[in-house]
Amino acid sequence: MRNRLLVICVLVLSVASVAFGTDYAIVVNPANPLRALSLVELGKIFKAKTTIWPDGKGITLVLREPNSPATKFILEKVLGGTFDEEKAVLSDPGRKNAVPVVFAESDEEVMRIVGGNAGAVGVIDVYNITGGVKVIKIDDKQPFDPGYVLKGR
Amino acid sequence: MKTRNFFPWMVISALLAGGTARAQDAAPAASATSAVPVTTPSTLAANAYEMGLVQREDRLFVDEGLEFFRQAVKADPQFALGHAALGYFTADPKEAKDESALALKFIATAAPDEQLLIHWMNDTKNGETVEAISAMNDLLAKYPTDKRLANMAAEWLCANQGAFEHGEAVLVRLLKYDPHYYPATNNLAYCYALSGQPQLAPPLMDQYVAALPNEPNPQDSYGEIMRMLGDYPAALEHYNNALKINPHFNASQVGVASTYALMGDEAKARAQYLVAIKGTKERSTQINYRILWAMTYYRENKPRLAREAFEKVDTEAHAAGLTVQEAEIHRAMALFNPDAASALKDLDDAREDLSDTRKSNLLPGDRDNELALILQARAFIAVKAGKTDAAQATLKLLENMAQTNRSTPVQEAYHSANGAVLFAQGDYAGAIAELQEDPYNPLSLQLLSAAQTKAGQAADARKTLETLAAISDERVETAVAAPPARLALKHDAAHPVQGGAN
Repeated sequence: MRNRLLVICVLVLSVASVAFGTDYAIVVNPANPLRALSLVELGKIFKAKTTIWPDGKGITLVLREPNSPATKFILEKVLGGTFDEEKAVLSDPGRKNAVPVVFAESDEEVMRIVGGNAGAVGVIDVYNITGGVKVIKIDDKQPFDPGYVLKGR
Repeated sequence: MKTRNFFPWMVISALLAGGTARAQDAAPAASATSAVPVTTPSTLAANAYEMGLVQREDRLFVDEGLEFFRQAVKADPQFALGHAALGYFTADPKEAKDESALALKFIATAAPDEQLLIHWMNDTKNGETVEAISAMNDLLAKYPTDKRLANMAAEWLCANQGAFEHGEAVLVRLLKYDPHYYPATNNLAYCYALSGQPQLAPPLMDQYVAALPNEPNPQDSYGEIMRMLGDYPAALEHYNNALKINPHFNASQVGVASTYALMGDEAKARAQYLVAIKGTKERSTQINYRILWAMTYYRENKPRLAREAFEKVDTEAHAAGLTVQEAEIHRAMALFNPDAASALKDLDDAREDLSDTRKSNLLPGDRDNELALILQARAFIAVKAGKTDAAQATLKLLENMAQTNRSTPVQEAYHSANGAVLFAQGDYAGAIAELQEDPYNPLSLQLLSAAQTKAGQAADARKTLETLAAISDERVETAVAAPPARLALKHDAAHPVQGGAN
């Protein structure tokens, strides 16, 4: 019966809307006053060219395991090159301790780390977000916005 | 009201309603740790709310559930969660808008977690999806054993968001906690069927039917799953089983009608729809069924009778103040209209319906979703008729909407319409990418298949056509686009291409 209700709703409101893939959300600690970044600014953080937030706190980057689909997608989108090229950026010895990268086993762990570290910025599947983190806009768009750049396939 | 036979476990679930005092008056009851609190000083309102959930969520007696929610807010007009639930579940756009507003008006009287649930209900309706997800996950984490909460969340994830993996995970976790919570079994079967794993659904339906042999919904759900799989005789058998258990289970009555409609027996379908219309007191539901009834004339290629029928239903919808349904009727008339100029006029009427003075009766989300569909249909019809300027102008309107409205229907309508315009311009690769953003809309699939053919992707085009042909539901878009797809496949089977392609 559930789906009959759906189908009737479809008829009236046409809500039959299924998105393949998912949007990835960029999340920061709720105490971080930041509300938005450009994709270019995010890329500078990934490359450790920007190492601190405007309030002076050091930035920590929190990602899923290097070979996870999420990290692969994000690296290609944010840094623009191929996955193998961009993965090297994260392990570049030149970045030393500037913007340390923490790899987490799950989105829950990403959120736990970001929620406990005022300078952390993480990437998660938008369907896993909780009130323990803050979603920031990228290029003035948030997940589900038209043209949101971190929309997965 | 109809006779109700409650399950034993529903008696237990009745205890899960939580605190029944206003937040500022009393601490949440002890049971609030197992279920989201329900705050109202009125025992009558609390009980009616609980019964609303029993009927709507557990038994899937939709009309009865709504009636209990209405009783709840009548007993306590400041019952914020009662208003939110009524606004969330009703199919009447005006009621949805009014009740959501009342929920927000009285939200301060609710407990903090109850407020979160109210925000989730309202945000899902208003296209505030990020906020809705955040509220939902916080509630699921805090109330991991609130079965109804998990079930509702999973239903939203699967049916509205297409987030099947997430919805399935919530349901699997829930069923691990309580394998006998059969509403979740039901939803998991639908989730599998919708996510392209239909073979996983019937075994779950077998469990559901065996566990609740005296309840109509398991048979009804089984009927619908079989209909989705294209097995119409099995669908009819299960729907009729449901009606044997409870002749007043109107969902099965309309299920029988729609199955006949899909089978091509339109006269029988109409007769069954009339029974279903008599079987509901909800005016909006009656009009929804009337729309399905009118569509049967199009299905049997009687366009004059179909237009007359739709015009009659339009008059009824207008009199009932059901603005979205009025617009939907005109959109359906346009999609079936073979004359492009006249179809565009139908769509003008549809837009007029939404912009008349009663538009204030609608939630902005409901209005925008319907308007997006009207504009999408306009772009498609204009492209088909070679009216490029009209298509471009319509796309511009949709683009403006999509810039500010994050709802999935608006987004998909925009991408789909953009795909249609790109198709007209000969940019088939661009059209394919855009049309793939609207993957469950038969009109988009139809054009996607055409674009893939033009782009030389014959195998993909055929796969898309097969997907389209396999869609078996009541939507007007399906009635327009699926039969030609089935015919094309039949033709291809009769006239195979020698030497293969692609």
